[in-house]
Amino acid sequence: MIRHSCLELLAAKMTDQLVVTSQSGQRIEWSHLSKHEGNLLLGMMGCAIGVATGLALALPHRKVIALDSDGSVLLSLFNLATLGNLRPKNLVVYVFDNGVYSGSRISYPTATAGNTDLAAMARGAGILNARTISDIAEFKTKGIGALTSNELGFFVCKVEESLLHREIPRPNTDLAENKYRFVRYLERTEGKAILFVGRG
Amino acid sequence: MRDELAQRLVQGLKGAGIDFVTYLPETRLSQILPLIRTEPAIELIPTSSEQEAVTIAVGATLGGKQAAVYMENTGVYVSSYSLLVTGKQLGVPILLVIGYLGGVPDQRNSFLYATIGKHTISVLEGLGIEYQIVEEGEKLESKICDAVRAANAQRAPYALLFAGEFSE
Repeated sequence: MIRHSCLELLAAKMTDQLVVTSQSGQRIEWSHLSKHEGNLLLGMMGCAIGVATGLALALPHRKVIALDSDGSVLLSLFNLATLGNLRPKNLVVYVFDNGVYSGSRISYPTATAGNTDLAAMARGAGILNARTISDIAEFKTKGIGALTSNELGFFVCKVEESLLHREIPRPNTDLAENKYRFVRYLERTEGKAILFVGRG
Repeated sequence: MRDELAQRLVQGLKGAGIDFVTYLPETRLSQILPLIRTEPAIELIPTSSEQEAVTIAVGATLGGKQAAVYMENTGVYVSSYSLLVTGKQLGVPILLVIGYLGGVPDQRNSFLYATIGKHTISVLEGLGIEYQIVEEGEKLESKICDAVRAANAQRAPYALLFAGEFSE
């Protein structure tokens, strides 16, 4: 299973969900597959789950999706304990775990290539629906299926390292431009003003 | 901190439009937590690290909340990465309500805190985060309102560092 195949399946299911991605490969591939205004493409690691959690808490009636990586989750393991206690029902986290720091270009192994099991850690932290997904058939049923469930989902998708994202043009949308497009989309679909982009 | 100050601080947050607070508790201002917990206008979110207290608050702000993060100043060091890459780089306003341990006006300063306090301002300045040190209750409510307005105008975090009367 490669990440791009999972993201293709996910992109086909997008309607009004909000999607937060971390750097790096999943950000590039997702921006290529989905041009949706509800995409927030963060330019850094270790922050996507936190930002997605804040969105999920602020907008409990909207489905929020975090697209993250093993390296990024390892950088912010405290998120697991917080999610395990808050359990926002409208949040689904997909962790694309290729076992390497692929973005570094030398692909040295992450801890998940060794003894570390992120899904087990998530379950231990209190996330009830946390599981490892190892093939595309399971991703279709369990992973995509979570989009319609009313429960926090945390899916560690074991993927082969793929360098496909290096062949895809990187998103050229500036972080601020992306933020404003995202917030304007929320204003329009939520029918309310987002406070900080208000008065000029 | 006197109960009256804690109540004014919480009412000041509410009056400034704060409706979402993430936190990691500390010693100087902790009396505000039970008050916020019983304040229906403010959603209170416990976190496991100041770094995620910031990112969760940023997400909530993007979702339409007026968010604050309550932390000790040691949390400024812990959260400096997320303050920089989500607060500053992405440009999202959040109010930082900080117990200023070890600063000169900290009434409980000691060798345990002095080093922490000594570097807090330079770290905030290094991050480009504006701040104000609040040592007494005079004009507390307007200082909080001004801070929230400044954060929104700058599209950036703004810090209120509480010491003096707030650290007694």
